[in-house]
Amino acid sequence: MIRFRDFTYAYPTGEAPVLHGVDLEVRPGRFHGLVGASGSGKSTLAMAAAGFIPHAQGGESTGEVTVGDLVVADTPLPDLVTRVGLVQQDPFDQISGARFTVREEIAFGCENLGVERGEMVRRVDEVMERLRIAPLADRSPYELSGGQQQVVAVASMLVMRPEVLVLDEPTSQLDPAGSRMVVEALAAVRATGMTVLLVEHGLELLAEHADELHVIADGRIVAEGPPADILTDPRLDAWGIGRTRFTAAAAEARRDGLWPRSRPLPATLDGAAAGFRAAANGELE
Amino acid sequence: MSTTLQFYRAGDSWVHRLNPVTKLAFVAAVTIAAFGVERLWWPAALFLLLEVPGAVIAGVAGRFVRMVLGFFAPFLVILFLLQGLTYPEPGTVLLHLGPLEVKTEGLVFAGTTALRLLVMVAAFVLLLLTTHPGTLMSAMQQAGLPPKIAYVVSATLQIIPSFQARANAIMQAQQARGLEVRAGGAAARVRRLLPLMGPLLLGALTDVENRSIAMESRAFGRPVRPTAYTVVPDSAAQRAARWAMLALAVLVIVLNTLGVFS
Ligand SMILES: Nc1ncnc2c1ncn2[C@@H]1O[C@H](COP(=O)(O)OP(=O)(O)OP(=O)(O)O)[C@@H](O)[C@H]1O
Ligand SMILES: [Mg+2]
Repeated sequence: MIRFRDFTYAYPTGEAPVLHGVDLEVRPGRFHGLVGASGSGKSTLAMAAAGFIPHAQGGESTGEVTVGDLVVADTPLPDLVTRVGLVQQDPFDQISGARFTVREEIAFGCENLGVERGEMVRRVDEVMERLRIAPLADRSPYELSGGQQQVVAVASMLVMRPEVLVLDEPTSQLDPAGSRMVVEALAAVRATGMTVLLVEHGLELLAEHADELHVIADGRIVAEGPPADILTDPRLDAWGIGRTRFTAAAAEARRDGLWPRSRPLPATLDGAAAGFRAAANGELE
Repeated sequence: MSTTLQFYRAGDSWVHRLNPVTKLAFVAAVTIAAFGVERLWWPAALFLLLEVPGAVIAGVAGRFVRMVLGFFAPFLVILFLLQGLTYPEPGTVLLHLGPLEVKTEGLVFAGTTALRLLVMVAAFVLLLLTTHPGTLMSAMQQAGLPPKIAYVVSATLQIIPSFQARANAIMQAQQARGLEVRAGGAAARVRRLLPLMGPLLLGALTDVENRSIAMESRAFGRPVRPTAYTVVPDSAAQRAARWAMLALAVLVIVLNTLGVFS
């Protein structure tokens, strides 16, 4: 669905490239996670996937990014935005200012797409229900907390039903329950055939819901694969990502000989529980 | 929250429920009518017989009077000083103030102009007090206002207050680091506040970039005819009333030129 081929990119103001030879494939109908340390290039990659690099930001690039059969650099933005949606990192900048209530703010994208009114009302209600913001419907989007604004930003893109949705840390200002709710909602839209690329710090949520993870460090994709493999990789600390509580606890137990030796380290609650249960039953091989 | 949105008083009166375009037509018609007749009593009658009752029906009379006076008092003073004291035409001199002469004609002229402006300002105030800006913009877009113009107005109304909030935040951050914002004379204050403009403007610029990205993601400005989520109620009666009000305003001008009011 989204494909990076040997993509290297430098911002117009920066001398050194920020992305180096990125190869990455986001497959249709799947939920991909992108993780990396601060400043590693996650937002840049997200913008390149949605076409705002190079169309809005400019800069120098080599290689290619494609969305479906479209070459991003050769496709005008208005034609791209119906295929790829982008939720940016800062929620405040994403409130359009064009509408005065949350429900109208969410409907705004559909209005611009010319979605027929009855259909639009259904979609807005559905997405507010799914993201549990129906109680905010008649508030001003400017009177919401940062976390609430983030959820509204996600809703405003989901409602447009792009083929691919790219989200740049949409849960950074949410509490754990809110983050879980958003990630679960994103995992759920897979059922409608939507493809998702999510930049997210919540490793445990990704372990549970993502189909595939990509790790970025200093502008390079350094690892990719199923979350269970990536999140238990010993190089995780070197990449500056940290580990899930479940992996960390199992690793300590293994050092003390309290974890079944043949069992891989877990990245989820279920995996950790199964391992500790086995250990408690004396299965330490 | 924002000063611009604070005008609006939620309510369920007959005036509140009118389509905002009808209220705009009233502003236009009553203003045209007020300027159409050169009689002191005429704008006063429009104000007292149309606008004040409108404010009473809408349940906003107190606020209406306060806002109209607030907007209007400074104007009134300037108008009387300029027009009343410097009326160039010959006329009955009421009193001498040094080199200046106060003439009856000058006072009447100042009074008429003041009352005409009063009619216009009061009509606007009544519109703002009884119409949510969102409804106003939706209705105007429904009536054919281009989305880009509607966007500029709506965004200005909402983003400027948030800009003020950011300026305050930057100021507080500087104060927290020991910058004395309030001490000293005006010049010293300006000199200390100048460095704060940097972060504010820089923030505004990156905002603009990110916001334009956000607007494009929301398919704004695509060559598609946008649909409307909010439909502001309108009726054949209101459409007729709008044309009737404008026709009456024109009729007033015609009658005036025919000498009916003299
Ligand atoms: N507009 C820009 N102009 C020049 N350089 C930029 C710009 N935006 C980001 N950079 C640089 O590109 C690099 C990657 O930034 P990016 O924002 O993509 O990182 P990130 O992984 O999203 O970080 P974070 O987790 O903090 O959001 C950083 O070194 C940053 O300084
Ligand atoms: Mg980022």
